[in-house]
Amino acid sequence: MATWTRASATPEAALAELGLPEHASHWRLALERFWAHRLAVASLVILLVLVVLVLLGPVLSPYSPEHTNLDVRYEAPSRAHPMGTDSLGRDLLTRIMFGGRVSLTIGVLAMTVAITLGVVIGGLAGFYGGVPDAVLMRFVDMMLSFPRLFLLILFSVFFGGHFLTVILLLGALSWMGVSRIIRASFLSLKERQFVEAARALAVSNRAIMLRHLLPNALAPIIVAATLGIATAIIAESTLSFLGLGIQPPTPSWGNMLKDAQTDMVTAPWTAVFPGLAIFVTVVAINFIGDGLRDALDPQHVNRSVRR
Amino acid sequence: MSRYASRRLLQALPLLLGISVASFLIINAVPGGPLSAYENAPGVTPLDLQRLEHQLGLDQPLYIRYVSWLTHFLSGDWGYSYATQQPVLAMIRERLPNTLYLMGTVYIVTLLLAIPLGVVTAIRQYSWLDHFFTGLSFAGLSMPTFWLGLLMIIVLGLTLRLFPLGGIGTPGADFNVFDRLWHLALPVATLSFVGIAHYSRYLRASMLETLHQDYMRTARAKGLSHRSAVFHHALKNAALPLVTIAALDLPELFVGALVTEQIFGWPGMGRLFWDSATRSDYPVLMGILAVSSTLIVLANLAADLTYGYLDPRIRYA
Amino acid sequence: MSKVPNLAIAMVAMLALGACGGGAAGPTALTPVKGGTMTVAVWQEPNTLYPYYATQTVSTLVYEIALEGLVRVTPDGAYQPVLAKEVPTAANGGLKLSPGGQSMDVTYHLKPGLKWADGQPVTSDDIRFTWQAIMKDPKVTTRGGYDQITSIDTPDPVTAVVHYGSIYAAYASRFSSSAGQPILPKHVLEKEADISKSDFVRTPSGTGPFKITEFKSADHITAERNPNYREAGKPYLDRIIFRSVPSREVALAQLKAGEVDAMWNLLEAQLPDIQKQTDIKVRAVTSPSVERLEFNLAKPANPADPNVPHPVLGDVNMRHALVLATPKAELVSKLLFGKATVAQSTLSIGWAAPKDVHQDDYNPTKAKQVLDQAGWVAGSDGIRVKNGVRASLKITTTTGDQIREEIEQVLVDRWRQIGVALEVSNIPSSVLFGSWSANAPRKKGNFDINMYASSPDIDPQETVAQRFACANIPRPENNGAGFNYYRYCDSQTDQLIQQAGSIVDQDKRKQLYSSILKRLNDAQISVWLYNRSSIDAYRSNVGGYKDNGWDNLTWNTEDWFVSKK
Repeated sequence: MATWTRASATPEAALAELGLPEHASHWRLALERFWAHRLAVASLVILLVLVVLVLLGPVLSPYSPEHTNLDVRYEAPSRAHPMGTDSLGRDLLTRIMFGGRVSLTIGVLAMTVAITLGVVIGGLAGFYGGVPDAVLMRFVDMMLSFPRLFLLILFSVFFGGHFLTVILLLGALSWMGVSRIIRASFLSLKERQFVEAARALAVSNRAIMLRHLLPNALAPIIVAATLGIATAIIAESTLSFLGLGIQPPTPSWGNMLKDAQTDMVTAPWTAVFPGLAIFVTVVAINFIGDGLRDALDPQHVNRSVRR
Repeated sequence: MSRYASRRLLQALPLLLGISVASFLIINAVPGGPLSAYENAPGVTPLDLQRLEHQLGLDQPLYIRYVSWLTHFLSGDWGYSYATQQPVLAMIRERLPNTLYLMGTVYIVTLLLAIPLGVVTAIRQYSWLDHFFTGLSFAGLSMPTFWLGLLMIIVLGLTLRLFPLGGIGTPGADFNVFDRLWHLALPVATLSFVGIAHYSRYLRASMLETLHQDYMRTARAKGLSHRSAVFHHALKNAALPLVTIAALDLPELFVGALVTEQIFGWPGMGRLFWDSATRSDYPVLMGILAVSSTLIVLANLAADLTYGYLDPRIRYA
Repeated sequence: MSKVPNLAIAMVAMLALGACGGGAAGPTALTPVKGGTMTVAVWQEPNTLYPYYATQTVSTLVYEIALEGLVRVTPDGAYQPVLAKEVPTAANGGLKLSPGGQSMDVTYHLKPGLKWADGQPVTSDDIRFTWQAIMKDPKVTTRGGYDQITSIDTPDPVTAVVHYGSIYAAYASRFSSSAGQPILPKHVLEKEADISKSDFVRTPSGTGPFKITEFKSADHITAERNPNYREAGKPYLDRIIFRSVPSREVALAQLKAGEVDAMWNLLEAQLPDIQKQTDIKVRAVTSPSVERLEFNLAKPANPADPNVPHPVLGDVNMRHALVLATPKAELVSKLLFGKATVAQSTLSIGWAAPKDVHQDDYNPTKAKQVLDQAGWVAGSDGIRVKNGVRASLKITTTTGDQIREEIEQVLVDRWRQIGVALEVSNIPSSVLFGSWSANAPRKKGNFDINMYASSPDIDPQETVAQRFACANIPRPENNGAGFNYYRYCDSQTDQLIQQAGSIVDQDKRKQLYSSILKRLNDAQISVWLYNRSSIDAYRSNVGGYKDNGWDNLTWNTEDWFVSKK
């Protein structure tokens, strides 16, 4: 029989539950709550390890990611090559580490573009309401009505598979969800008393949006941002898998999987390892995002803290 | 309510028109064009290419070609494929059932498994069951679909030889239900895994929120049995957001998962789109985009209306 | 121009090519068996089976077993009569030049007693009808050569006199099965207002050993024996089925399991997988297709001005160095598993293929010397600079082609070693091969290096003229017509090309082509990478097939058989 714990009625009670002094800020509260989410913490550690590997590893590796050696093609994992070699005799582990730099950077930057666009458009729509809202939301609808992958493909063919292009493309096609969240958030926030007070004080619209509404809507933004990185990494890998993303010889986790369909018969490790890298990274990010959601959203179900 | 619906429907028309214009512009802006198939055929002369360009109407200005396409489209003539010379409508009609068949199965399997999973993991929060399925769900959310498909082919198809490597049925064999199911297994498993992960997590979060509401305590206090409370009160309310998500995913039934179809060699709409996009087969591309954008717009509308209808607070507002 | 000396030369050439998959022999020690069905796995489905609309190889693969031309090309690159009694030449009177030398007539005599699959006789009216069908239908792929025909006379049911309005050097290659230009049945097609809407485009039948009887989309194509086939006792098989499979991997799996008898068009990467199996035989046949690195001699722009040279590739020494820095032999042996041959020019096989034209082999030391002497000095990052111009280039090829991408990456590595920076920038094939009006970069001259394969016709005149003559550089003035993507312009080469197209003496033409190709190689306008092979696989109980680089594996299905296993 499940015990249905109740959300803590007051912030003081929540603090007390966690053993914190009464005057702790709500960020401190969030941090404590995050810390209690063990999987999220573990994932954070894993992600940090990965980032370090990706930044330092290439320096430590004796191989270059682009140097081809046609005599050692398709070698199975061995001591010399812990993850084997690919179709041009390049060390897979080194390429995965270099590829990590590319994929992670694209993930973060694409997410930044998406969040920025989403916050701006959703925020303007939610704050002003009325006609601007209707127009902007119809625009969002139109963007959502395009099958996303189709647009991605068509644009990639048009603009080419360069670093910047991929980032802009991925960002430009994933801001819609964020904009809806921000719009909903601003819509409800602007009815609150502190906004009324600010208006009474003749604070400019821009200041209200930036200094009053935005900080209060930060929680969903942070969660969306974190999960956005995960989505962007997967999207980049799909694009590169189709041959439209990052071009070889620059490795990215996605384009390393591109030839996997034919290579997997003779050299399955070329398909397994890059995918595993994506998988581990994205799982970690998802758990972190989950932890952040629990930590930052006070309305969210308060998990009974198990100590 | 019906006034709202008809207003939204009317709004959808200019939206669809705008999408068709944008699609047409994008497709035509892509460098290359459909004549590439002829370019590399041995013996083709520049004179031939000029003639073919004229024959396909590509030497006319963009707006004339768009208007021509639109008028034909609205009267039921979706044009002919540049590559196969077959009517676009016929090609789509040929591929659509295959996609429907695959995605429909995925849809049903996903819902059938995701709903109980979401409910059970919510009720038995923090049990080993919850942790196990949560872990599995995160795995499903974090895998690129194509990688999962490739892994399945490697492990179950190549190594263990339990399942076929692709296709809708054994080539050359007569129609056989078991053969069809056998070929469905891997692509459905791949897509469902991801789908179940998403839906069950969503339902679980929704259920948890509902279960903690005060009216649930009231229901229990009034003496309602646990099962009754869960099903009649919690689930009904928790399922509402899920219904809208499910409605929004309906267009997927027709448009198909492009990458999965590629990997499993499934002759569906996704594959048709990819083939047409890579050879700039404009008429087919416009046809597919028209179908999918219409479906998405309708699905959005359906989702909004359904939510509006099912939520009494909105319905009687 | 007679066949025999060419045959001799060709055979010597074949021996010289050695064991690199150029053998013309088929399987040995199998006796023909009458009857049975053979299944061929095809991983791509034909868009159409009407020869004059088809652009895909797989279309030719299928319709070729049903539709035949007056002549065809044999593995040694010589013409062979099929429906015609003999190949028309000046020697046998089939070819007559007009007194003024401005036009010519070609006379074909049909073999006696020829019948279509439905029993109707084949007559010279069918030949004329074919020409008219090509000229009337706006959707046909090419009219090359046929637009030079002014009229066709049919003095009797087995004779057709084709009147050309000019000297068309490649006349012998028209109405040829190998060129995908077979004779069409007049009595079947004349009633169709629009051939593209008829059944003939899906289930054609003609004079070939089989007739296509069923075309089930994404499933299979069935071809049944033609009871009226002209050779008695043939074809051996009762039926051929082309089975549509979703991918090459599935096709190979089916072949290994014995569910299909043959597989069309393998990838080199699949070879290691089959080489261990003794019940599967692989045939790699050198095709006329040559994979090349095409240099843009003009400065990239949209559109490029051929008078403005490329800042890097405009220097012939740079081009020479790049040729020297390309490890062709290694690419062929390692990446292509030896199933290709290093190319020396754009004509790899056939009567016009020169034996004395070569390109330098891999020699990175010499490459560096050439660049040093030409004034390209290595900068701090190892990349050479001359007059402020950095040796940095972009290479473009089709996306989704694993071998090409691998080659590109090897080139990036090797060229860096001689101080040239190469960047990969691939695009889908529809963009690479696109049209001028659709802004395709190759047409507009907006590229540095393109990598792709191209095959000349059995008669090289059209290819050579279109690709290397100055007038055929795509320009705004000629609306982007022409295939001279190199933007190569040389008056002497132009003269030689013009000459080769205005005479019909094959030996003289051959010498001219040799001179032309030598000039092209001296100008280093291209790196001829390798001659591609068509790779197909068969189960060991299949027999009768013969390699033919000029045609598909189905060029002689009348000889195919499947013995019991």
